[in-house]
Amino acid sequence: MSGIARGRLTEERKSWRKNHPHGFVAKPETLPDGTVNLMVWHCTIPGKPGTDWEGGFFPLTLHFSEDYPSKPPKCKFPQGFFHPNVYPSGTVCLSILNEDSGWRPAITVKQILVGIQDLLDQPNPADPAQTEGYHLFIQDLAEYKRRVKQQAKQYPPLLL
Amino acid sequence: MESEDDMHDANDVESLDDDFYSGDTDDAPMDYYSDYDDDADDYFDDADKVESRRPEQNFTILKESDIRLRQEDDITRVATVLSIPRVFASILLRHYNWSVSKVHDAWFADEERVRKAVGLLEEPVIQYPNARELTCGICFDNYPRARIEMVSCGHPYCISCWGGYISTSINDGPGCLMLRCPDPTCGAAVGQDMINQLVSNEDKQKYGRYLLRSYIEDNKKSKWCPAPGCEYAVTFDAGSGNYDVSCLCSYSFCWNCTEEAHRPVDCDTVAKWILKNSAESENMNWILANSKPCPKCKRPIEKNQGCMHMTCTPPCKFEFCWLCLGAWSDHGERTGGFYACNRYETAKQEGVYDDAERRREMAKNSLERYTHYYERWASNQISRQKALADLHQLQTVHIEKLSDIQCQPESQLKFIAEAWLQIIECRRVLKWTYAYGFYLPEFEHAKKQFFEYLQGEAESGLERLHQCAEKELQPFLSADGPSREFNDFRTKLAGLTSVTRNYFENLVRALENGLADVDSKGASSKATSSKNAAGSSKGRPGRGKGAFRTSTSNRMSDDSHSHRTSMSGRMSDDNHHSHWSCEHCTYVNVRSATTCQICYQPRR
Repeated sequence: MSGIARGRLTEERKSWRKNHPHGFVAKPETLPDGTVNLMVWHCTIPGKPGTDWEGGFFPLTLHFSEDYPSKPPKCKFPQGFFHPNVYPSGTVCLSILNEDSGWRPAITVKQILVGIQDLLDQPNPADPAQTEGYHLFIQDLAEYKRRVKQQAKQYPPLLL
Repeated sequence: MESEDDMHDANDVESLDDDFYSGDTDDAPMDYYSDYDDDADDYFDDADKVESRRPEQNFTILKESDIRLRQEDDITRVATVLSIPRVFASILLRHYNWSVSKVHDAWFADEERVRKAVGLLEEPVIQYPNARELTCGICFDNYPRARIEMVSCGHPYCISCWGGYISTSINDGPGCLMLRCPDPTCGAAVGQDMINQLVSNEDKQKYGRYLLRSYIEDNKKSKWCPAPGCEYAVTFDAGSGNYDVSCLCSYSFCWNCTEEAHRPVDCDTVAKWILKNSAESENMNWILANSKPCPKCKRPIEKNQGCMHMTCTPPCKFEFCWLCLGAWSDHGERTGGFYACNRYETAKQEGVYDDAERRREMAKNSLERYTHYYERWASNQISRQKALADLHQLQTVHIEKLSDIQCQPESQLKFIAEAWLQIIECRRVLKWTYAYGFYLPEFEHAKKQFFEYLQGEAESGLERLHQCAEKELQPFLSADGPSREFNDFRTKLAGLTSVTRNYFENLVRALENGLADVDSKGASSKATSSKNAAGSSKGRPGRGKGAFRTSTSNRMSDDSHSHRTSMSGRMSDDNHHSHWSCEHCTYVNVRSATTCQICYQPRR
């Protein structure tokens, strides 16, 4: 499937511009010289209304490899992002993003972003990726919620 | 031939004559004189011959072509019975670990559920009846219908995206056998038809390889031969208690635990022994680290007495101090010695030393016991390897030469290979009897003695056979022409082969029924002992004290079993005055004996 990464990403970009879920942002990186790098996308995931994540607009970067869509993109929040299933590096641990199990080449960028939005409020305690978020989630839910709300405030909407 | 006489020493002349001249066994040595019509017989045929002595063979060795054939047959069967395409049948079988009956059971119980679980949809979930162009779900490009493929679900992908998807999966490992549609929510299975249509030859071959391996590895009834480099597989039909399997590559192994064949010793004992060997080697290392080399001759010395004044064994005889390894002559009062070494004396007086010494003594005894069995286990292993090499040498080089020199057709020389095969098998059995002996409880005196007797008989028979095969053949190989003695050699070697086989069959039989014969030694009847064996064979020595004692006391109180009745009957009449029956093991001793000849318990 090598060589189709860019073609597919062009199509992804087209389909995103035609239609995408409210509050989400997804666009390929623009390099300093003005050219577009299709292999890295800067995205924003809004916290779901009605949850502790509401009000936060969380920046996420998708790194696509030449093997895409055979292999999933790597999805990263900023370093130190507070969530049980996000590694200290910011990389998201999610079944559909795992090339050995859940990834299928037909999964779209839209599905990835919506999947991660779901993950924010529904962490998977069976698959912890960081100590702090996991322990608080298990042992001290009140403090966990406080930290989540605090983090939501750290990431206000960009264009307000 | 001087050794002809050696052969007839000891107490086995009778049995030798019995077996050898009576000719009443099926494979008596006389067979060697009958004509072998098949000159093309090779090693494998010999191996089969050894195997075929067993009552029934409950395993089959499969070459790659056999495996393919069986796999194809199973697929065809399922496809025919369920009226489904062969590709579907293959996917189903893989899902149910290649059990045809499980596929049938599951399918006829609930076809719809099976189809869903396995991913064989009856109708596509999406249909594009009239579309001339379709969008690939992976690259999102539009393609004419002819360049789009789909599996049972109908999700459309272009052939190049399919190719990439499948090839990625094949290169990720055997998981490709369970490949599903690229759509994240779809469970439709991707079968071999798609693979063959869409990927490179190399990937097709890899896939085929995984499919073949799966047929052996995911199937409970089959395993690969564990010998390094061997590509044969074995299917095994459960049922009989015999787990020994011998592969066409000549490696024998236990189906149950895949260790090398260890009949008549059970898998648990073997596992314990192998574990002990690996654990004990560290113990050995410890001892090595804690023994000291003689300061003069450098042989390792282990201290075996309390005194620090060491005297190395002859011829060295060097006297030295254990603590400082200096010459003892520097230590005596005359030389004003004992310098720093006397600190040790204080420790000894305080009792520190005695405890340590006692512990060391115990450790040493147990280690010595283990070493005894281990050495014999290991040297039989080595002898067996040597015998395998010798057999190979015989078959590749010597047999032809010998056939020329002695003017005998090779078919008439088969008795030599037979002898070597017997040696190889016996070394294997003998080796494992040492693991058995190690775990035979000390207090089972009668069993231990009986075991060691059988083992000793078998071992000395084997040594004679091995010696004869190894040494006495040599002169005929270097002779200038046919020797008249060659026929004597044939008779002797074939005779020894048969005798040794009998000894080992006895040994194997006795160990397999847990040495139950000693329980009924007093009745001294073969029939009763075998009856007894059936009951206690499961117990094995491990059951130990409890079982042994119980059976003894039963014998005293419970006369319901026929052989026990007959025993007490015999005791009360003809045996009463000239013999006494041991209370402990029931062995019938001569009157003059004050302790039991089997278990050494004093007469009561």
